[in-house]
Amino acid sequence: MTTALSMRGLRKSYGPNEVLRGVDLDFVGGEVHALLGPNGAGKSTLLGCLSGAVRPDSGVVVIGDDTHEGFTPQQAFDAGTAIIYQHFQLIDDLSVADNLYLGGELKSRSGTTRIGEQVATANRVLRSVGADFDATQLVGTLSVGQRQLVEIAKAIRHRPSLLILDEPTAALSADEAQLLLGLVQRLAHDDGIAVVYVTHLLREVLQVSDRVTVLRDGEVLWTHDTAELGMDDLIAAISTTAGQAASADSRPASSSSDRVLLDVRDFSVAGSPPIDLSVHDGEIVGIFGLLGSGRTNLVEGLAGVRPTAGTVTLSGREVSTRSPSHARADGVVLVASDRKEQSLFGSMSAMENLLMPHYSVLSTPWRKRSRESQIFDGIAEMVHLRPARATLEADSFSGGNAQKLAVGRWLGQLGTASVMLLDEPTQGVDVGAREEIYHLLRTFARLESKAVLFVSSDPEEVLALADRIVVLVDSVVAGVLPATVDEQELVALAHSDGPAGAAFPTEGLSHV
Amino acid sequence: MSSAPAAAAAPPRTAARPERGSRYLLAIDAVMPIATVVLMIFFAVSRSVFLTVDNLLVVAMQVAPLMILATGAALLLMAGYVDLSVGSVMAVSGVSAALTFQSQGVLLGVVVGLLVGLVAGALNGTLIGIFQLSPIVVTLGMLAAGRGLAQFLAPGSIFGFPESVSSFGAGKLFGVSYLVILAVAAVGIAMIVMNRLPFGRHVIAVGVNARAAFLSGISVRRLVFVLYLVVGLLASVAGLLTVARLDSAPSGTLGAGFEISVLTAVLLGGIPFTGGRGAIWRVVLGVWLMGILANGITLLNVGPEVSGILTGAVLVLAAALEGLRFWVRKKF
Repeated sequence: MTTALSMRGLRKSYGPNEVLRGVDLDFVGGEVHALLGPNGAGKSTLLGCLSGAVRPDSGVVVIGDDTHEGFTPQQAFDAGTAIIYQHFQLIDDLSVADNLYLGGELKSRSGTTRIGEQVATANRVLRSVGADFDATQLVGTLSVGQRQLVEIAKAIRHRPSLLILDEPTAALSADEAQLLLGLVQRLAHDDGIAVVYVTHLLREVLQVSDRVTVLRDGEVLWTHDTAELGMDDLIAAISTTAGQAASADSRPASSSSDRVLLDVRDFSVAGSPPIDLSVHDGEIVGIFGLLGSGRTNLVEGLAGVRPTAGTVTLSGREVSTRSPSHARADGVVLVASDRKEQSLFGSMSAMENLLMPHYSVLSTPWRKRSRESQIFDGIAEMVHLRPARATLEADSFSGGNAQKLAVGRWLGQLGTASVMLLDEPTQGVDVGAREEIYHLLRTFARLESKAVLFVSSDPEEVLALADRIVVLVDSVVAGVLPATVDEQELVALAHSDGPAGAAFPTEGLSHV
Repeated sequence: MSSAPAAAAAPPRTAARPERGSRYLLAIDAVMPIATVVLMIFFAVSRSVFLTVDNLLVVAMQVAPLMILATGAALLLMAGYVDLSVGSVMAVSGVSAALTFQSQGVLLGVVVGLLVGLVAGALNGTLIGIFQLSPIVVTLGMLAAGRGLAQFLAPGSIFGFPESVSSFGAGKLFGVSYLVILAVAAVGIAMIVMNRLPFGRHVIAVGVNARAAFLSGISVRRLVFVLYLVVGLLASVAGLLTVARLDSAPSGTLGAGFEISVLTAVLLGGIPFTGGRGAIWRVVLGVWLMGILANGITLLNVGPEVSGILTGAVLVLAAALEGLRFWVRKKF
């Protein structure tokens, strides 16, 4: 076995934020090496350093006899590194062969493309990855699993010594995923490629990898042979239990009553299996699940963004989920993830951003500037907006203050919403502002006939904010847990196979 | 306030940025008004007749239909949409009205003309607003179809209307053409909508971030539908006024190329092609600039083609200013 690639002392910071703090790691030919780590551990940055997308501040990458202090993507390619991203980089309207040769077409002497030769070679590569379709087919007609094979064919056509796969099964069905895992092992064991396999699915790690490295806070926590490891080791490694104790201590008493405020029955979003869910008056419910668990679909469905089936009632009155304006009229509002794209009006002022949903209500029919600024001042003070300047453009605010603008819309005098839905409420928000936003949400929930339902991929956030936790697996409720649950149990349930194969009790959990 | 990290956490960027950046932005925004004034001074010095009340009123009357239509098109573009069919809608509604003038009388003719505009606007609004089809493709189709329909209804030019049509077209109140009075009214209404009604904020919001507007509960589809309806109605008003002024309805040339003039005017008025920003007074300035260019060039006797060259040059200047604006916003 030869070392295909070594990293020594890789460091990378973004501003004051140290993402990689001296990573040493070796990838060996003929081995599948799984890379694990909680969100923010530095996985994407590490991959970026290998693909040439990110230039490390210090440290080296050694490939064979060459020592690199950072690549361009072209140099990474020349050095024999291939990376397959989570999102396919294929063009639907071109054939498989054309995609494989895009930008590196086989040319005849007169400059025309040698199509026949491309198709023949492409077909040979496709057979070697176990594909059963022809290279002349358009990529757009292929299934997701078949497209993944095209991506792999494209990567191995150049006979790389290192192949990096980033969450390759995220979009695949269970059967397709199994086929892919088999292929990944053949590529490593038979062809001698060093495969780096990034995933958050622990059962895949155990099944496919020969060695596991866990990253945490920009450092290698440990590297072990997979044969020595069990599921418990992996769960312990990606949970960050230290943070949980603190947040559990500081957690304020729940304000929830026994009265059901939001009742969701047989609710299905865009064809997903129907689920039931209830949120009590004064309660903050957290939805936890992995990428692809249907967590975002659920809140977007409730807010009227996606087509739904089933019934939603608020204090017994039916809520329309036909559109966001219908849902809002019935008291359900959404603070979407990715506030720049989905929540804020970047070039408009802070005041306009806060008041946008309310101009109609505030006007008679004329707008009253004095009343508008009075309401803005009230909300800005309540959410501690900094700087509290009405005319400043939304784009000029930091992440935390921008999120206060998005959340603040539904607070204060204008708070006609009864249930606030939030998707990743503190994504890209610094720690201080995060606590402030939690406080705002708790204060909101405590008002009469209000509740909060939020989605998060961060177990710490769910444990810190929620009164009750709903775990989604494959768009189905895998379990409902109390807020006092141990972080490892929570993460383990989200990694389980859903309610059928759940090894964890969902009721009567012993309190820690 | 006492701890150093807390002071450092308040980003100095947010404090410094608007001061310097907005000074540059103000300077950029002043270029077009200054250019207009300089141009007027140039024409006034070259031809003394230019800067007379009578001549300026003539310019105002000539641009009145453009001004009326530009107010609606401005709102539409602020929301991020365009209507390339307005010239043909003017023709269909002008021709329909003209035919009705002859057979059924003036009052019914006006009603028919306005209804044609509303129907065209509703059709555009349904296809683009409700069914989310491409604004450029749909209205380009309407442009071709509308011109064809106008010429189908009346192959040549229609004339010979009741007296009241031409007397309205030439009519004045205190020396000011009825057309100008209507244009001033249209501008006033547009300003009220943009500044005093919630609808104006919603228009800008859709132009800046339609997704965020949708998620915050604004009915984007209805808003776009209404905007196309208004533009259709205003196109028919512009068509009727042009018929009244000409005292004839030439189906082949009525409103021909008007869609480009309207778009030029609102772009000169500083509304970016992607929407999200804009002020009605600047659009008035854009229309006025086009009017005095045409008028001044005629007075200088250098041929009307020079007016086209200059208008084009000014439009490129407007694009350059928009690019500069973008750069300043990114840099500061």
